[in-house]
Amino acid sequence: MGTEAAARLALQPALMRARGLSKRYLQRTSFSRRSFAIEALMDVNFEIAPGCLTALVGQSGSGKSTLASCLAMMEKPDCGEIWFEGNEISHWNRRKLAPLRPKIQMVFQNSAGALNPRFSAAQIIEEPLQIQHREIRQNLRARACQLMEEVGLSADWANRSPLELSGGQRQRLAIARAIALKPSLLILDESLSGLDLSTQAQILNLLLDLKAAHPLTCLLISHDLSLVGQIADFIAVMHRGRIVECGSAPQVLGSPQHPQTCKLLASVQVLETAFRTARAGGRS
Amino acid sequence: MKTSAGAKMRSSMKYLERRVMHAVLLLVGASVLSFLFSSLAPGSFFDEMKMNPQISPETVTALRSQYGLDQPLPVKYVRWVKSVLRGEWGYSFAYNQPVRSLLVVRARNTLFLTALAMALAWLIAVPVGVWVASRRGRWEDQLTSASTSLLLSVPELVLALVLLYLVIRTHALPVGGMVSSGFDHLDSWAQMKDLAAHLIVPVTTLVLASLPILIRHVRASMIEVLQAPFIQAARGHGISRSRLLFHYALPAAANPLISLFGLSIAGLLSGSLLVEVITGWPGLGPLLLEACFSRDIYVVIGVVMASTLFMIFGSLTADVMLVAADPRVRTDHA
Amino acid sequence: MITGKKTSKRKLIAAAIFLLALHLAILLAGFVAPYRPAEQNRDSPYVPPTRIHFVDARGHLHLRPFIYQSVARPDSLYEYEEARDQEYPIRFFVAASEYKIAGCFLSHTHLFGVDAPAQIFLAGTDNYGRDQFTRILYGGQISLAAGLLATAISLLLGLCVGCISGFYAGWIDESAMRVAELFLVLPWLYVLLAVRAFLPLHISPAQTFLLLVAVIGTIGWARPARLVRGIVLSARSRKYVTASRGFGASDAHILRRHILPHTYGTLLTQAALLVPQYVIAEVTLSFFGLGLSEPMPSWGNLLANLQQYNVLVSYWWMFAPALALVLVSLGYLTVANAFHQRLQSGSI
Repeated sequence: MGTEAAARLALQPALMRARGLSKRYLQRTSFSRRSFAIEALMDVNFEIAPGCLTALVGQSGSGKSTLASCLAMMEKPDCGEIWFEGNEISHWNRRKLAPLRPKIQMVFQNSAGALNPRFSAAQIIEEPLQIQHREIRQNLRARACQLMEEVGLSADWANRSPLELSGGQRQRLAIARAIALKPSLLILDESLSGLDLSTQAQILNLLLDLKAAHPLTCLLISHDLSLVGQIADFIAVMHRGRIVECGSAPQVLGSPQHPQTCKLLASVQVLETAFRTARAGGRS
Repeated sequence: MKTSAGAKMRSSMKYLERRVMHAVLLLVGASVLSFLFSSLAPGSFFDEMKMNPQISPETVTALRSQYGLDQPLPVKYVRWVKSVLRGEWGYSFAYNQPVRSLLVVRARNTLFLTALAMALAWLIAVPVGVWVASRRGRWEDQLTSASTSLLLSVPELVLALVLLYLVIRTHALPVGGMVSSGFDHLDSWAQMKDLAAHLIVPVTTLVLASLPILIRHVRASMIEVLQAPFIQAARGHGISRSRLLFHYALPAAANPLISLFGLSIAGLLSGSLLVEVITGWPGLGPLLLEACFSRDIYVVIGVVMASTLFMIFGSLTADVMLVAADPRVRTDHA
Repeated sequence: MITGKKTSKRKLIAAAIFLLALHLAILLAGFVAPYRPAEQNRDSPYVPPTRIHFVDARGHLHLRPFIYQSVARPDSLYEYEEARDQEYPIRFFVAASEYKIAGCFLSHTHLFGVDAPAQIFLAGTDNYGRDQFTRILYGGQISLAAGLLATAISLLLGLCVGCISGFYAGWIDESAMRVAELFLVLPWLYVLLAVRAFLPLHISPAQTFLLLVAVIGTIGWARPARLVRGIVLSARSRKYVTASRGFGASDAHILRRHILPHTYGTLLTQAALLVPQYVIAEVTLSFFGLGLSEPMPSWGNLLANLQQYNVLVSYWWMFAPALALVLVSLGYLTVANAFHQRLQSGSI
């Protein structure tokens, strides 16, 4: 994406904004009185531009998942503000947050754990539609099959259990479930880890297609900078609970400032060829 | 991470301290619960007297207030606790004496019976369990499995009755009670034989009732341990089979068994109640039953507390054994 | 192990069929039993079980089994011999005394019977001359119903407490589990006796039955509660529960669709384990006289006859209720075992 387009986007109001977020976890060794604190987030300022794909990268333990949980309203920060659609939501209770939930959806790392093995694929997608009363009962199955097709899964697999699907197919299913409610923001927390290279490329491909088809903003969290750098519009680098570098993708990838960014870039994987092949070839 | 012997001792003591505090809290909780249940009783010991036209209602009321039965529940509880601390454990209306003197003798008898049965049961269960574990899947294992399943299905009540029947029909042993009449006139050797003869039926019933579960658990524990790599390694070193089983595998399998020991006391106590009543063994069981029928409240509460005490003591013993046997317990909970 | 699975499945089916047949026979006690439980025959106390013959005194083989009438020996008390002069064939689907099926339908048909004046006592009689076979069947209704109802109560209580405790965690969980520990530390028979004793002793049979069921069921909530709580605790930390919350699912929805299904297997196994235990509990209470008393038959008060020395020694057929008890235990424990094995291998 050219710097001009990026600059244009940057002028639009942010979809989600975090200011001064901090969160710490208290850990206690069993039965002792001592406990020590883990500073997961330290004074984080973060913005997500609408309609773009933002990447949040960092090593394990840098606080990426904690930030994602706070943004997805799954956890409350200790201090700081979160702005979404003009509202400051960091201290809202469950009831107030309820109508906002369909707008921010999350796809997890471990797809096997994130999908109930006793449900069929279609039931998994139908669940959010049922809870939010988006469809009448007769249309549920049809809508679920539609979503399956959209993410590249055959509708014939509607009755399959997630255990019968491969890792990549499960992540597609998880993505289908996440977009069922037509969210404004889709957070993918390390969703590509554990997949082989070509599958990763296919999923990235899928994200791009979805972004093009819907007004969808994505936040892609990963430890692999070169992976997400392929399709991200903006990149933020986290290290030990702080955001150490932030900017448009060409900026960060082309001229990394912080030593951490350089370190992450150095662990390069040969993705481009796989990506191009997947783009040209097709879906599973 | 090396800790000195002193530190190990300290951490073990701390763990045990915690367990003892826990046990005391449980006892207090059990006593409160028992008192709460007793508040459900609409009648009392003196109801029988009420039916007697010769005793005036005023006498009954006077007796009730004398024994504090008309007081509200918390007051009764406090008075009972005071009585416990004084060493009396409440008052028995039927026997007209402090509960303690009744409890001590009966509790001793029950303890004797249950301890003996427990020891025997484990003495049999451990070798048998180890043996069938080493012969897993073969006919000895399957036969033992089938017999334990069958034995498990026979309730203690039935076991006791059947044994009693056999003993009576074959006139093999004296039945009923702890000792025969004329016991005091026998010399000590004959006394012991008499006691032993009376013990056989109750002990056998309790042992037969406990064996199936114990054998199963020992077997399961051993099987799990026998699959561990260090056993394979020892086997490769050419260590003899019996040494392998008893010196290497059994200590490793001891952990869950020690916990089982603590738990099996509960079942044994409940079983002993039944057995005592049926065979006439003068333990806590018959005392409880009598007190239930005559609404002798403090005796009932005393017996329930005594049995709870045994249970807690048993599980504390298991905790001590666990601490001694498994070093991980000490360091984990430091 | 494939063979292990197959044999456990076959055992499960066999045990289940056996239990079903037993329960059906007991449910239809009026039909299966030749007489009524309160029918006394004062001139036939302690008659031993009637022997069924196929070959008569003259050596002829009969296709239809028959019996001889038991007559008292003229010289001794309570001793009987067969009167070999007359054979009484066993007839099936006979019309005899009236009874009610399920408390509403009247019927006269019994499964089997013999012509008067002979009587068929498959399990002998007691001191009032009442047919023990009939009383065992009717007594089974009480004892089994008590066991099943009490199990339902325990499981329901345990499920509720376990779910709430495991789902909401925190102080609710802590306090609930401490109370559970308290219930588990008390030896159950002592508590059962004590609680039963604290409640009114002389009440009607129906009230006694309900009281027994309530007491037995309520005391036993702790173990199922602990098990359910463990399952709920682990299920609620799964990511698909978090995802469900993300869609705005209510607690009720999550419990119903994601968490409860995990408990079914354990609940089934617990049910199969608890029913025989609770039947035995009722039998024990009635045996001691704290449960159902005469004239209502229950396996417990039927066995209570054995507390008399002379009965225990001379009249072995009075042990028959014990056999019924053992069969029920065996059936349920086999089923429980099979469930447990299947649960461990992940089939449920």
